[in-house]
Amino acid sequence: MPSASLVFQSIVLGVLLGGLYALLAAGLTLYFGVMRVVMIAHSAFLILAAYLAWYAHRETGIDPLLTLLVTVPLFFAAGVAMQRLLLTRLRPATLTMMSVLLTFSIALVIEGLLGYAFSGTQRRIRLGYSSASLEFFGARIAVVKLIAFGMAAAALLGLYLLMKHSRFGQALRATIQHREAAALLGIDTDRIAGYGFGLGLATAAVGGTALALDTTIYPSLHWHWIGPLMAIIVVGGLGSVPGAAIAAMALGMTQSLLQLELSTTWAQTVFYVALFATLAVRPQGFFGGRLAQRF
Amino acid sequence: MSTTKRLSWRVAALASATALAASGCGSGGGSEDSPDDPITIGVSLPLTGDFSEPGKGVERGYKAWAKIVNDKGGLLGRKVELKILDDQSNADRVVSDYEQLIGRDQVDLVFGPFSTRLVVPSARVAEEYGLLFVEPAGAAPEVFTQGFKNLFYAAPAVANDHYNHLADHILALPEAERPKTVAYAAMDDPFAQGTAYGLKDKLEKGGIKTVVDEVYPPNTTDFGSIAAKIASSKADMVVGGSQYQDGVNLIVALQQLNYQPKMAAFSTAPTEPEFAKAIGNKTEGILAPTGYTQQADYPSNKEFVEKYTEQFGKAPEEDEANAYTTGQVVAAAVEAAECASQDEECQSKLIDWLRENEVETVVGPLKWDDKGRPQSAHMIQQWVDGEIQIVLPEEQKEADLVHPKPKW
Amino acid sequence: MAAVVAVALSFPSMAPSPYELTVGIAIVNYAVLSTSWNFVGGFTGYISLGHGAFAGLGAYTTALLVTKADLPSFAALFVSAALVAVLAVPVGYAALRVRGASFVIVSIALVLIMLLVFQSWSSFTGGSRGLVVPRPFPGMLRSEHHEVFYFLFLALLAVALLTWWIIDRSRFGMGLKAIREDEDKAQSLGTPTYTYKLVVFVVSATFTALAGGLYGLWFGDLDPVFQFSILSGAYMVLMALLGGVRHLYGPLLGAVIVGYGLEYSKLEYGDTPLHLVFAGLLLGVVVMFMPDGVIPAATGLIARVFKTGETSIREVTAAELREERGQGGAEPAPGSPGQKREVKQ
Repeated sequence: MPSASLVFQSIVLGVLLGGLYALLAAGLTLYFGVMRVVMIAHSAFLILAAYLAWYAHRETGIDPLLTLLVTVPLFFAAGVAMQRLLLTRLRPATLTMMSVLLTFSIALVIEGLLGYAFSGTQRRIRLGYSSASLEFFGARIAVVKLIAFGMAAAALLGLYLLMKHSRFGQALRATIQHREAAALLGIDTDRIAGYGFGLGLATAAVGGTALALDTTIYPSLHWHWIGPLMAIIVVGGLGSVPGAAIAAMALGMTQSLLQLELSTTWAQTVFYVALFATLAVRPQGFFGGRLAQRF
Repeated sequence: MSTTKRLSWRVAALASATALAASGCGSGGGSEDSPDDPITIGVSLPLTGDFSEPGKGVERGYKAWAKIVNDKGGLLGRKVELKILDDQSNADRVVSDYEQLIGRDQVDLVFGPFSTRLVVPSARVAEEYGLLFVEPAGAAPEVFTQGFKNLFYAAPAVANDHYNHLADHILALPEAERPKTVAYAAMDDPFAQGTAYGLKDKLEKGGIKTVVDEVYPPNTTDFGSIAAKIASSKADMVVGGSQYQDGVNLIVALQQLNYQPKMAAFSTAPTEPEFAKAIGNKTEGILAPTGYTQQADYPSNKEFVEKYTEQFGKAPEEDEANAYTTGQVVAAAVEAAECASQDEECQSKLIDWLRENEVETVVGPLKWDDKGRPQSAHMIQQWVDGEIQIVLPEEQKEADLVHPKPKW
Repeated sequence: MAAVVAVALSFPSMAPSPYELTVGIAIVNYAVLSTSWNFVGGFTGYISLGHGAFAGLGAYTTALLVTKADLPSFAALFVSAALVAVLAVPVGYAALRVRGASFVIVSIALVLIMLLVFQSWSSFTGGSRGLVVPRPFPGMLRSEHHEVFYFLFLALLAVALLTWWIIDRSRFGMGLKAIREDEDKAQSLGTPTYTYKLVVFVVSATFTALAGGLYGLWFGDLDPVFQFSILSGAYMVLMALLGGVRHLYGPLLGAVIVGYGLEYSKLEYGDTPLHLVFAGLLLGVVVMFMPDGVIPAATGLIARVFKTGETSIREVTAAELREERGQGGAEPAPGSPGQKREVKQ
């Protein structure tokens, strides 16, 4: 039996991990909401952002957090461009399927280019505070993990406020809920969809930087992330941002606790078990609304 | 069949016929042995993909070997020429590479690739074409249980024997100093796991308790949970069956939890030049096995270190040395058998000679058992005073083993 | 047609070395895989990125049946295909209940979960130490072994093509194609869409497993990382789409182009990870500009030149019809009237 302190430590780790999952899953949910697109390249952009943070730190020694000033606007613009230039050109009849392939191909290109530029070697940012930690009711929390969690939480909060309390947010939510109706109300849904896409990609920039603080990165790492993230958005109900966040926390915590008794590899299967169980029992997801029914 | 279909069939037919014809032509002509022709040696290495970093190290080692041999007039009076293909760290590719090298390019000899996962499939190709297969990287026990008759591992010891000196040392410690509990964490990789489990078997036989036994997949990037388990077990000793980056990550994660073992041993990672910087110089007391040291005074090693440094601008590491050793082993066999070609008689002469004889290399004299396992042992190094130094065995040590280990 | 068959059959005797034969086997293997994939992708329009999992399962189950249950190699191959077919039922059940997006997600998840299971359960599967499949013909020279397997793969390809052809002409095939064009209408017209999708999914998985198992018997060494790779599933999709999913020989053609291209680019430009970039760009181009593949693109061109474009109505999309009516342009305008349905969602 694991000791109480170990269980508590795992819960803390689970919360920290869940926060990052929640932010990334929120991004995936946005794409799906505005475009009905399953964005396979999301985690590839995540790794790209991590590489940019690592590279900037290696070359200039600046704190990886500062790279956010560049990567967030850059990724936002890339997201808008991707939506406007690529995805809107696909045939609407086959959009869902073809967009998967298109974003898949973007993921391959990013992975290949990263491998070409930085080789397949695993990289890690070396920070002065890498191994520093804080005491928290008997559990130890690494400073870098705490910063990563803080970033994820701040970004999620920002996203929430933006969606709830701005005109753009209202338009975005309207577009997600019912695109034609939103268009009838005079909302420029195409533009809103583009911004929604940009916003989703911006979460990848924040998530990637957070990721780079405490883990190793390598070009093919994105496959390791895309599975759990997609499981999260299905369990949460496709298109539901709060659903994705709750599912992310729950699954992140479960994974962390399962690792106490099982090996790391088996603990990862929790995502897929949850995915299959959800589809078999409640295909629209546990928090999803009307949207998920059709997909 | 509608017209469109017939047409489409014709398009497809044309394309496939062209492709087949194109792949059929352009084969390398058979190589006739003549005294002036170079000896071509085929190698497939992971120059891209997951194993690209060590793969490139092995490539440098092979290149250094070819240059040094050619500068001295070659083998049997013939120049040696390497043909190196990239297998993208993929088993399908490595097999088709060796098919290409042996069948199409008609190389005279082959050298082995990097990583246990790629050695077994490629050794089978060589075996089935009857070629000698000396390899620099397949140290896991599985490599030697496939019944290969042509395979030789060009390094001092197989993975499970890497920690032998350390195991003997620990078991010989007085009762009070001996660690009582050990936590093991090993990457799910035949080589890395082999090193940790070799030590585990020996310590368990000696009555030392295993309190944590974790295996993590190669793609693990977050070691928080594993470290939490190890730290919470308060084991006296921690053993990491690691490659490079996972070892670094695990150590950092353990340090984040302020876990202070009396002994800490990790494979591979601590011997890499980047290691100290990667974990913020908190290296004091970390142990690691190694099969090679630049300081070794074997006759060929001085030459190797000097010429290698000249060629590449830095001193060789273990991967480079093992590749160089592979070259030395094959060269010794070629010179003894006085032949270097694919024909069956020559290859079996090479194989038979290596079965019976000892070869002087940069990692010391090597000899193999009937499965191709080398019969020597690895040295144990420890980080002492900010430098990695040999502490075991006694006769080769540069510093005394520090125990218990200082805090990190 | 006879000429191509003749070339394919005489290829082993023309190959200058066993190496060319292995390239041939790899290409025919790709062709079987992408043709198998096309049972689902082509007929129903559901795109699975996870067929690599069925190939891997076929290979591993065959290997385990040979090593653990002492079945003869080829008996193991067929038993393994049957087992994969059984497994494909619950997978299809979960994946096909919902449309589109969830199906793709499940298909990717399937590869990832199989990778985890086969890596972790190492006492049974060998894990990362790999699993060695005993040769079905011990004592055979390596080059003869290649030759035998080349013909076995060809035979499997022939069976797969024949099956596709039969389904294509059947009532069952009509129903499937109705799903592809408009699932709601098909359902309201009384097509048992769910059952149809599930059946064809299982057929597809079975052929993929046969190809995987045969590959396992030929190759001899299995490693979860290479058997359960998303990339191999993606290559199947790329080949089928490139050739044209609506055509019997589309995937075969795609396999020849991609398989040969991979081998060629490897020979010529070997040592960079750019092959991923090329594969990605090619897939992107196909998806953006010729989602129906090169066969329709090329035949459209030829047909226009010779003015013999006579086609049956169920083989073309609205976009193709417009093209053939002389409007040209490889890329149809988005949201054209005939395709309004999905926009509403």
